[in-house]
Amino acid sequence: MSDVQVSQIANQPSMSLLKLTPTQRMVREAWSSVAFRAGFIVFVLLLFGALVYPEFSSVDPTKMNVRSRLIPPLFMGEGWTWAHPLGTDQLGRDLFLRCLVGLRYSVFIGCATVVLMFFVGCGLGLLSGFKGGLTDTIIMRITDAQLSIPMIILAITILGVSRPTAPAIILVLGLAGWPLYARVARSAALAEKGKEYIKGERVLGASDTRIILKFLAPAILPPIAFVAVLDVASIMIFESILGFIGLGIQPPTPTFGNIIADGRKYLINAWWIATMPGMFLLITLTGLNLMGSAMENARNRVLKGAA
Amino acid sequence: MYLLNFLIRRVLQGLVVLLIVSFAIFALLRVVPGDPARLIVGGMAPDEVVVQKAEELGLNDPIVVQYVRYLGDLARGDLGNSFFRPKSGATVGAAAYDDPSRNERAEVLDLILERIPLTLQLAGLSVVFALIISFPLGVAAGLNPGKWQDRLAFFSGSVFVSLPNFWLGIVLAQLFSIKLGILPSIGYKGFEYTILPAFVLAIGISPFIIRTLSVSIAQIMHEEFIAVAPLRGLKRPRIVVAHAIRNASIPLLNLFGIQLGILLGGVLVVELIFDYPGLGRLTINAVLQRDFPIIQGVAIFISAIFVFINIAVDLAASFIDPRLEY
Repeated sequence: MSDVQVSQIANQPSMSLLKLTPTQRMVREAWSSVAFRAGFIVFVLLLFGALVYPEFSSVDPTKMNVRSRLIPPLFMGEGWTWAHPLGTDQLGRDLFLRCLVGLRYSVFIGCATVVLMFFVGCGLGLLSGFKGGLTDTIIMRITDAQLSIPMIILAITILGVSRPTAPAIILVLGLAGWPLYARVARSAALAEKGKEYIKGERVLGASDTRIILKFLAPAILPPIAFVAVLDVASIMIFESILGFIGLGIQPPTPTFGNIIADGRKYLINAWWIATMPGMFLLITLTGLNLMGSAMENARNRVLKGAA
Repeated sequence: MYLLNFLIRRVLQGLVVLLIVSFAIFALLRVVPGDPARLIVGGMAPDEVVVQKAEELGLNDPIVVQYVRYLGDLARGDLGNSFFRPKSGATVGAAAYDDPSRNERAEVLDLILERIPLTLQLAGLSVVFALIISFPLGVAAGLNPGKWQDRLAFFSGSVFVSLPNFWLGIVLAQLFSIKLGILPSIGYKGFEYTILPAFVLAIGISPFIIRTLSVSIAQIMHEEFIAVAPLRGLKRPRIVVAHAIRNASIPLLNLFGIQLGILLGGVLVVELIFDYPGLGRLTINAVLQRDFPIIQGVAIFISAIFVFINIAVDLAASFIDPRLEY
C-alpha cells in the first residue's frame, strides 16, 4: 500500500487525487471509461423518455384503437408509420408508449428493491461481522438457508397467494435478495473491526451502535453500494419474469412482462408485440449493466490502489 | 482425519440450514390465505366434508405440532401427498368431492424423482454450453487485459446478462422452431428438446463465468510461478492450460456453488417457457394451484441439493489445490 502512495506522490499530476476520498476516486475512475459513458447515455435517455414522453403524448398507453391495430414497427413490413415506432398490439395500443410506461414501473421497483436489500442485508451483515459469536452464527445460518432457496420459488409462492401490487413485489424481492449483501458486508466488517481506530473508539467507550453507524458503515458501505447498480438490472429482469408468469403488476397497467406474455399469443401474425418490448428492455438493461460493470471495475482498481 | 472432521462439520451445518428452510417454508404456507382442506375436497363439497378433511390432516393442531409431524415424515423420506395430483396422472380439477378419483393422491417424492432426471439433464447441458461459450471469451480476455479481447468479453457479458431469459426463449423458439424448423421447442420427446432451453440457460449463466475466468486468469498471469515457467522450458500453451486455467478453475468452482441458486431459478422459468416436463414446471404449476406439499417438498429438495453441491465444491477445490484448507 505504502509504495503505491509514494509513487503517486512522486507523480505530480496525481497529487490532487490523494485529496479525494476513495468513493470520489471510484466515481472519477468509472466516468473515465467509455463503457460507463455509453451505458449512462443510453440509460438516462430512455429513463428521461419514460418520465417525460407519456405525460406529453396525446395517446394513452391503455387506450384501444381498433383502426390502428397490428401496425408493424418502423421499416418492418407493410403499413408502418412514424406515429408508432415500435408498432401497435392486437388492440391498437402503441407499443413504444407501453414500453416507456413499463420502464417506469420496472426502474421504480428495481431501485426500491435494491435499496431495501441493501439496508436489510448490510445491516445484518455489519451486525454479524462486528458482534461475532452467537449473533454471527445465527445470522449466517439464516443467510445460508435463504441463499439455498431460489429467489424465484420464494417470490412466486408469496405473490401467488397474495395480491401482486408494487409494494408487495418490492417487499418480496427485497427480502429474498438480501443474503449476498449480508455476506459482503460481514466480511468487510470483519476486516475493518480489527483496525486501530475501531479499537480506539471502543477504548473511548463508544457503544456498539455508535461504532457501527458512525465508523463501520461509512467505511464499508460505499464500495458495496457501487455495485448495487448491477442488482437494479437483475431485479428489473425479475420483475419482468414475474409479470410474464402473471404475478407482476396486473394489467391494464403495462409492464414488460405482461406485454410480452400478451404478445406471445400473436407470435405468428404479429411477431413484434412480444419481440419489441423485449428488445427495448434488453437495450435499457445493457446500458445499466455497462454502467454497473464499469463501476465494479473502477472499484476493484481503486481498492487495489492502481488508480 | 481432517477430511472427516470437515465432512461432519459441514453436514451438521447443512442440516441446520435445511431445518431453517423447511420451517420457513412450512410457516409461510400456513399463514397465507387459503384453507388446504377446502382446496383438497374442492369448492363444491359441503362444509362437513371440509371439517372432516381438516381433522384427518391434523390441520387443527398448532403449527409447531404440525411441523414436528412433518419433520418426522421427512426423516422417513415421506414428503407427503399432493393436494391435487392423483396417482394416475389425470386431472381432478372438475371432479365432484365424492368422486373416487379424488382419493389416490400422488406422493410428492415420486413426483419430484420422476422429473429430476430431465431437469438435471437440462441443467447439465446448459453448464456445458455455458463453458463452451465462456471459455474462449474469458481466457482470451484474461490473457490480454485492456486489449480488444478484454473489451469483447466485457461487452458480450454485459449484453448476455441483460437478456431476459423468458424473452430469449420465446424469440429463439420462434426463430429455430417455427421459422427455420431446425430444433423442436415445446414439450419433451427426445434429447433434441433439451438443446434450445439449455442454450437459453447457458446465455444466462455465461456472463458470470466469463467474468470470473478473465479476472482470475489476468491475476494469475502476474504470479511469479508464471513468470518463471518459460525459464523452466515450458511452452506458452502449456503454461496457460496447466497453470493459469488450472488455478482459475477454483474460483470457477466456488462461483458454481454460489450461482447454483440462480441456475435453478432460471431452470424454473425456462422449463415453463418450453413446456419442458421437469421440476420447474411442476413447481410453478404447484404454486399457481396452491399445491402446498409439492412447493414444500421441492423447496426442501432444492435446498438439500444446494447444500450437498456446496460441500462437494469445497472438497473438489481442495483436491485441485492442496494448499486450501478444508
